[in-house]
Amino acid sequence: MRFPLIRAIYRKEMLDMFRDRRTMISMLVVPLVVFPLVISVMMRFATRMEANAETEAKTMGIAARVTTPSVREALEKLGVPVKEKGDLRAAVEKKEVAAALEERGETIEVFVDSSNPSSTAAGDRIRTALSELKDQRIRESLRHSGIPESVLTPFTVKRTNIAGERKMAGSVWGTMLGYILLLLMFTGGMYPVIDMTAGEKERKTLEAFLASPAQRREIVMGKTLAAITAIIMTAMLTLASMVYSLHSNRLATKSEEMRNVMKTIPLDANTLAMLVATLIPVAIFAASLMFAIALFARSFKEGQSYLTPLALLVIFPALLGGLPGLQSTPALFLIPIFNASLVIRGIMLGDLSTVNFAVALGANLVYAAIAFVIATRQFEKESVLFRS
Amino acid sequence: MIHVQELSKTFTDPKRGTRLAVDRVSFDVRAGEVFGLLGPNGAGKTTTLRLIATLLKPTGGTATLNGFDINREPAKVREQIGFLSGDMGLYGRLTPREILDFFGQLNSMDTEHRLKRVDQLIAMFDMQNFADVRTDKLSTGMKQKTAIARTMLHDPPILILDEPTSGLDVPTSRTIESAIVQAKKAGKCIIYSTHVMEEAEYLCDRIAVISDGHLKMTGTMDELRAATGKHRLREIFLDLLGLPADVSPDKE
Repeated sequence: MRFPLIRAIYRKEMLDMFRDRRTMISMLVVPLVVFPLVISVMMRFATRMEANAETEAKTMGIAARVTTPSVREALEKLGVPVKEKGDLRAAVEKKEVAAALEERGETIEVFVDSSNPSSTAAGDRIRTALSELKDQRIRESLRHSGIPESVLTPFTVKRTNIAGERKMAGSVWGTMLGYILLLLMFTGGMYPVIDMTAGEKERKTLEAFLASPAQRREIVMGKTLAAITAIIMTAMLTLASMVYSLHSNRLATKSEEMRNVMKTIPLDANTLAMLVATLIPVAIFAASLMFAIALFARSFKEGQSYLTPLALLVIFPALLGGLPGLQSTPALFLIPIFNASLVIRGIMLGDLSTVNFAVALGANLVYAAIAFVIATRQFEKESVLFRS
Repeated sequence: MIHVQELSKTFTDPKRGTRLAVDRVSFDVRAGEVFGLLGPNGAGKTTTLRLIATLLKPTGGTATLNGFDINREPAKVREQIGFLSGDMGLYGRLTPREILDFFGQLNSMDTEHRLKRVDQLIAMFDMQNFADVRTDKLSTGMKQKTAIARTMLHDPPILILDEPTSGLDVPTSRTIESAIVQAKKAGKCIIYSTHVMEEAEYLCDRIAVISDGHLKMTGTMDELRAATGKHRLREIFLDLLGLPADVSPDKE
């Protein structure tokens, strides 16, 4: 193999790639624009939905049929209009009121429509108010009977999360990061690979290229290197974009625990280096595999129809590998894509064993080499190159 | 310089079955000679040129180009040739200058020589006005000039040109023809296919007519005239294909 020729092919492919609008959209726009936009909109939408539900519950009010004055008093303190309705269940169903309650002897039944966020919010308020009233009554009864209030709490239960902030953050990040990274690596590499294989065939540029002194494997090497660059770029941009989006949107969430998780991004130099070491063989594997498949296609459109199912196929192992509670054995680290997702989760949690990391790395390097050999062999077949 | 011997190519397709595209074709082309390959569509011209350019592997026979065998030394053969495919094959998102530079690198030309040669060809084909414009924005003539310049860039001893003037206007065709004449004068060995009979008659030293993968006849214009008894190449061509001669509208 002649390095100057491979470098020339690589440079040409990169130049071609950067001037292709479709490739730029899949490689840059999706991770840098679409991804942060989706997270931001989702977070803001969820927060607004919550606030809207509260406001709507206050406007709609609740219906009540109660006889005990203290219960009515507790309801009035909620700051929500209390209305009189004949059929309480129907009133909630027809959204005349957000929620309703009926006192029947010693039972108070609360009617809520759980499919409606404002009804759920009103029901929660009613339950909290009634629970406080119940506690107050119990305490009063105990006082009258001369029994100390401490009988209600013979012992306290304290839950201590030994995971710590770093591990908790790793758990959340590990679940989603592998899946998103691996999926976007395949989709990000898809367009450049189709363009440099089926696209070249469709535009009839391959013939002059093949008639040049460059050997077939030098062409495959130069093109695959360009595809790997595109894949790694997509992965790194996705990672940076995820960090930025989650970090900048953390204040939008109400949960303190979630805010801490989003703030504590477990990405030190060591973690980053391990992530890159994991992703490079996957990128070579993805680029070579897609290259070998897309080469069969006669046109860009045909290439898309070949590679889209592959990108969808990646979803399952990538998603499964990130699931929490999975018992990981070295054998599982041999399964392509799944092993990368497992490793990424392990890296983020900080509990990845050296053996498992080495097994996954070794296996992925072997898969990458096999995929590259297959891609080169395909490129040497005239029935594939001149398929019409 | 080109020695083609019993060259054959069979395509096997699971749906279409086996098809003999080139059947034991033999001919020689000398240095400083323009050799025309004529034939109807699907006759085997492009397949023959692709075999000689080592894009396809022959199923029988062989060819040597400047002493290098297409079966044994395909990489060496490709160093000897400048190949122009029938579809031009230009990268639409690259400019002519970038394309020429890229192919110069593929031909292992050193930077100084490459840049000089690119400028020289841009001037030679009058490409100064569009040398830095993306190729997908250029006219067919401008694209073909770029494609021809790319073929001649590394100054190869052999030029293989598949329909170089196809779809071009007369002035652009003239520029291309002039480049072919200059290359011939410089001692290049040129093999090219065309459907334009006038052009072949004017440019070629010898002509071969191919049909259904078989070489019907090879020779100079005088030899073809003597063998067929016809004067114009168009008449000779039709005669060799077994087709009736032209029918004048006045006589019908």
